[in-house]
Amino acid sequence: MRLTRLRIIYLSCLFFLFGFNHIKAQNSNLYYYQELSHFSLSKLEDSLKKNWTCPNNYKEKETQKKFKELWDSRTEFVTDAIKNKNFIVEKEVYAYLDQIIQQLVKGNSKLLSAKPILLIDRSATVNAYAIGGNIVAVNLGLLSFAESREEVALVIAHELSHNILNHAQNSMEEKAEWLTSAEYKKTVNAVLDSKYERYTRLKKVFEEYSFNRTKHSRYHEGDADSLAVVLLKNSQIAFDAKYFLRLDSVDVPYKKPLKNSLKNYFVGYSLPFEDSWTQKRSKGLSTRNYNFSDNASIADSLKTHPDCTERYLKTMPWSVSNPNKTPIPTLLKEKVNKMIIWNIFDNRNLTACLYRILLEKDKTGNDKWYDFMVYNIFAALFYADNELNRFNAINITSKEYISQEYYELQNMLEQIPRENLYQYCKNLTARQFWQELSSDEKALKIFFHTLIDKDASEKSKELAAKAFVSSHTNSMYCEFADHFVRK
Amino acid sequence: MKRMLSFTLSCVISVMTVQAQSKVFKEVSEEISSQMRVITQDDALIGYLAFTQLEKANADSFNYKISIMDENLNDIGSVNFREENLNLQAVSFEQDMLCLAYIKSNVIGNNYASTKAFKKALDKAKHAVVTQFISLQGKILQTNNYNVDITTSETYGYNGATYNAHFAVGKLKRPVVLKNIPQKGFTCFYGDENDNNLLAFNPLGKQVWKKTLPKADGFSLLTSNNNIYILSKKKEKMLEGGFEVTGYNSEDGKQFSNYILKDKKGNSLKVLDFENDPATGKPVVSGNIINSKYGNNFMTPKHITKGTYDGVFTILLNGPKKSDIKETFSYWGDGSQSPNISTRAKFSENESFPRFSETVRDNNGNTYFVGSSLIKKTKWGAIASSVVLAPLIVVSPFILAMGGTQKYKIKDAMLVKQNANGGLTLEKVIPGDDARFYPNRMPLNEMDTKSYYSVFNSNTKTNFLIVDDVKNIVIYNINSKKIERTVSHKDGQVRTNIYPAKEGYIMVSEYNKKEKYTRLSIEAL
Repeated sequence: MRLTRLRIIYLSCLFFLFGFNHIKAQNSNLYYYQELSHFSLSKLEDSLKKNWTCPNNYKEKETQKKFKELWDSRTEFVTDAIKNKNFIVEKEVYAYLDQIIQQLVKGNSKLLSAKPILLIDRSATVNAYAIGGNIVAVNLGLLSFAESREEVALVIAHELSHNILNHAQNSMEEKAEWLTSAEYKKTVNAVLDSKYERYTRLKKVFEEYSFNRTKHSRYHEGDADSLAVVLLKNSQIAFDAKYFLRLDSVDVPYKKPLKNSLKNYFVGYSLPFEDSWTQKRSKGLSTRNYNFSDNASIADSLKTHPDCTERYLKTMPWSVSNPNKTPIPTLLKEKVNKMIIWNIFDNRNLTACLYRILLEKDKTGNDKWYDFMVYNIFAALFYADNELNRFNAINITSKEYISQEYYELQNMLEQIPRENLYQYCKNLTARQFWQELSSDEKALKIFFHTLIDKDASEKSKELAAKAFVSSHTNSMYCEFADHFVRK
Repeated sequence: MKRMLSFTLSCVISVMTVQAQSKVFKEVSEEISSQMRVITQDDALIGYLAFTQLEKANADSFNYKISIMDENLNDIGSVNFREENLNLQAVSFEQDMLCLAYIKSNVIGNNYASTKAFKKALDKAKHAVVTQFISLQGKILQTNNYNVDITTSETYGYNGATYNAHFAVGKLKRPVVLKNIPQKGFTCFYGDENDNNLLAFNPLGKQVWKKTLPKADGFSLLTSNNNIYILSKKKEKMLEGGFEVTGYNSEDGKQFSNYILKDKKGNSLKVLDFENDPATGKPVVSGNIINSKYGNNFMTPKHITKGTYDGVFTILLNGPKKSDIKETFSYWGDGSQSPNISTRAKFSENESFPRFSETVRDNNGNTYFVGSSLIKKTKWGAIASSVVLAPLIVVSPFILAMGGTQKYKIKDAMLVKQNANGGLTLEKVIPGDDARFYPNRMPLNEMDTKSYYSVFNSNTKTNFLIVDDVKNIVIYNINSKKIERTVSHKDGQVRTNIYPAKEGYIMVSEYNKKEKYTRLSIEAL
C-alpha cells in the first residue's frame, strides 16, 4: 500500500516535471500568441460594440448626433486597437498591475465602486491613458521606465482619477456642444463670407479652440494629479512628488548612449564591420545644420499637460519624505523589455529594435534571446532589402532626436552592402546560441531561410508561414508569420 | 520618423475630417494647391520641397507655405510668406542657401467671368521671373524680380463652380533653368518673347551679373567648377543639329569659349547628353553624328534603317582652348566597326538598329549609348500579295500605303560602349517587354515605350541604368554587366513606379489600389 502510494506520488512528480518541462521546452516564449488582444479580448471587443451605447444627453438632435459620433469614434478606437493586437493579457504583467489596481480600489471604495477594466498596451511609449467607461490602459513602456511600484501606482491613480472625474465624457460633450453651437457656426460662416484669408481665419478659429481646450486639459491634468494623491494616500501607497520630475526625461528613449562602441557589439558575433558604414555618406540636407524656428517644441500654450516642474511643486506638500520604494521585480522588467523589443520588431522598426537590444546587452550581458533577435533583425533587413523596402524597415529618424550611437547604427543599417548583410545572416545562423533556443525559435530561423531565399515564390513563403503557424500554434512568433498568410 | 505637420494645421485637418461635408471646409481646401519639387546641388538630389498656395490674401496676393524635407523625406522646417500669384519652377542649393525660381503673373492661372473680363485683365498683365533665397534658418534673405513678356491666351475649364470658366494660360518661351555654381552661388537661365537671359547670383542672393544671350531655338545650362556653360541649338539645315557650347566665367559673365558641334567632315551632331564627366568634372557632350543626306528623316523606323545617323560622338570640353577639347567620333561606315556594325548601323549580334536616347559616362573615359533596339523584318505576306496584284513584281501602291513590305518592332534595350579611342562594343541587350510589329510609317515615338535614366553611386563608383517599360522596370549594373533586379509595374493590386532619388538611390513608389495608400521607400542600388 505504502509502496503504491509512493509510486503514485513519484509518478505524479515525474508526470508533473515532464509535463512542465515539456511545456517549458515547447514554449519558453514570453507569452502565448493567444494572449494578444485579438484572441484574449475578443469578448470585450464584442461587448464594447454592443453595450457601450451613447447616452441620450441632449435634446438638440444635432448636438446629440455629434456627441454620438464622438462616442462611436472612441469605441472604434478601442475595438480597432483590440483587433490590431495593440493590447496583451500576459498573466505576469497583468497580475502585477492588477494588484496595484486592486489596492487602489480597496482603499477608495466610494470613489471606485467598480473595479476598472485594465488594458495592457504593448506600446514602448512611457504612458498610460484613461478612455472613460471605467477603462484604463497602461503601456509596457511605463513599466520599463518606472523605477518603483509606487511610481507605476501614481500613474495608474492619475488615470483612474480621469475616469472618476468623467474627463473623457466631459471632453466629448464639450466638443460636441462647441461644434454645434451657434457661436461656432457664426464664426465658421464668417470665414465663408470673407473673400480673403479664409484658411488663416479658419485656422484661427481652431487655434483658439485648441488653446482653450488645452488650457482646460491642463486643468483636468491638475485635478487628476490632486485626486491621484488622495487615492494613493487612501491606499497606503507612498507618494513622492519627485516622480513628476522624472517624467521630463521620458521623451528621449533613443538619446541614451551605449556603453561600448558600435563595432564591439558586432565583433562580439564575429561579424565583419567597417567604420565607413556608420558614417553618413549622403550629401543631402540631413547632414546640414538647419534650424527652422517652427521645429521648436510645441508652444507652452498648446501643451496638454502642465510642466513637470509645475506638477512637482503643486503636489510637493503631500509628498512623503524618504518614501519606501518597492522596486519592480527584475525578471518582470526584463520580460517587459523583451515584449517591447518583440513588438517593435514586429512593427518593422528595426533600428529602434536593435538599439534597444544593445542597451539591454549593456545591462544584462549574455541572454541568448537577444542573440536570437539580432539574427531576426538582420534577416528581416535582408528580406526588406530584397523587397525594395529597407528604407521603411530602418525608419530613418532625424539626428536631433537620437544619440550619436543611434545615428551611427541607423547609418550602418542603411549603408551596409547587400553582400555583407547576407554574410551577417549566414554567420549568425551558424552561431552556438541556437542550441539553447526553443523549437519555435529554431523553426522561425527556418522560416526566415525561405523568406530571404531570392528564388522562393510568394506561394512558398505563404506555405512556410502557414506551416510555422500550424506547428507552433501557441508561439508568440506566429504574430510575425501571420503577416505572410493571406487573409 | 516623420515630423508632425504643424500642430495648428493638423488641428484644422482633423476637424476637417470630422466636418467633411461642410461647405466651408470644402471651399477652403479647394483653394489650397501644392507643387512638389526636388532640391538639387551639383545635379544631385539633396532634398524635397513642397510649395503650397494656402489662400488668397487680398486682391493681388496669396499666402504661401514652403515645406522643406531632407533626402529621406524627413521634415526639416517650413517658411510662410505672401506674394502675388507664383508658380514654382526650380529649386537649387549652395552654401546653406536655398534658391527658388518662380514665374509670377497677375493673369496666368486666374479665371475670369467672360472673354471681355479676360481681355481687360490682359491689358494690365504683368509677368516676372522671381528668384528667392532662403537660409537654413528659415529666413527669406533676398528676392529678385525680372519682368518678362509671356504670350497669354484664353482657355476654358472647371473653376469649382462651372465648367465654362475662362482661364488665362501662358508659359515662358524658354523655361527657367536653375543651377548652383559650386562655392560661388547660383546661375539662372530663362527666355521670354524678346530675350534669352543668363544671370548669376552670389550665395546671399545678390545678382552679380546679367546678360542677354544670342537667339536660338533651344538652350541647356550646365555649371562646371567655376564656369557656366550654355548648350544652344540654332536653326540649320539639319533639323536635329545646330548645337554649340558657349562657356561663361561665373564671376563676371565674360564669354571665354565657343564650340560649334560638328565633326571633322562638317556633319551636324545631335546631342543626347550634356553633363559633367564624373572622372574630371569637366563638361562632356555626347550623341549621334547626323548623316548629311538622310539626317532629316528620323520619324519612322524605315528612316532609321536607311541611315539617319553615321555614328556616335563624345566631346570632352576640358578647357577653353581648342587644344583642350578631346573629340571622339565613331562611324558605322568607316570599316573600323565592321563586321559587327553595318554602314547603316545594323548590329549583327542582335540583328537590330539602335535608337539611342541617353548616354552614361563612367569613371574610365567610356561613354555608354543607351536606347531601344529596332528590329526589321520582311512582311512576306505583303510581298506575296503585291506579286499577285502586280505581275511585274512592282509593289502595289495599295500595299505601300498600308505600310510597305517591311515591319518593325522595338523590344529590347541596348547598351553600346564607346571607349576613349572610339571603339564600339555592344555591351548588353536588356530584354524588354513583349512588343508587336508595326508598319514602317508608324512614328517611332509611339512605338518606343521605354524611358531611360542612370543612377551613379559615387561611393562604389558604380553606374546603374534604369530601363522603364510598360510592364517592367529593369535595373542594370553597368560595371558588373548584370541585371540587378526586375521590378514589375503591376503586382496584384499594387502599382510600382521608380524615380530618381538621392545619389546612388532610387525612390520606389507603391500604390495599393485596393487599400488606397501609397508607400514610398528610398532604396540603394
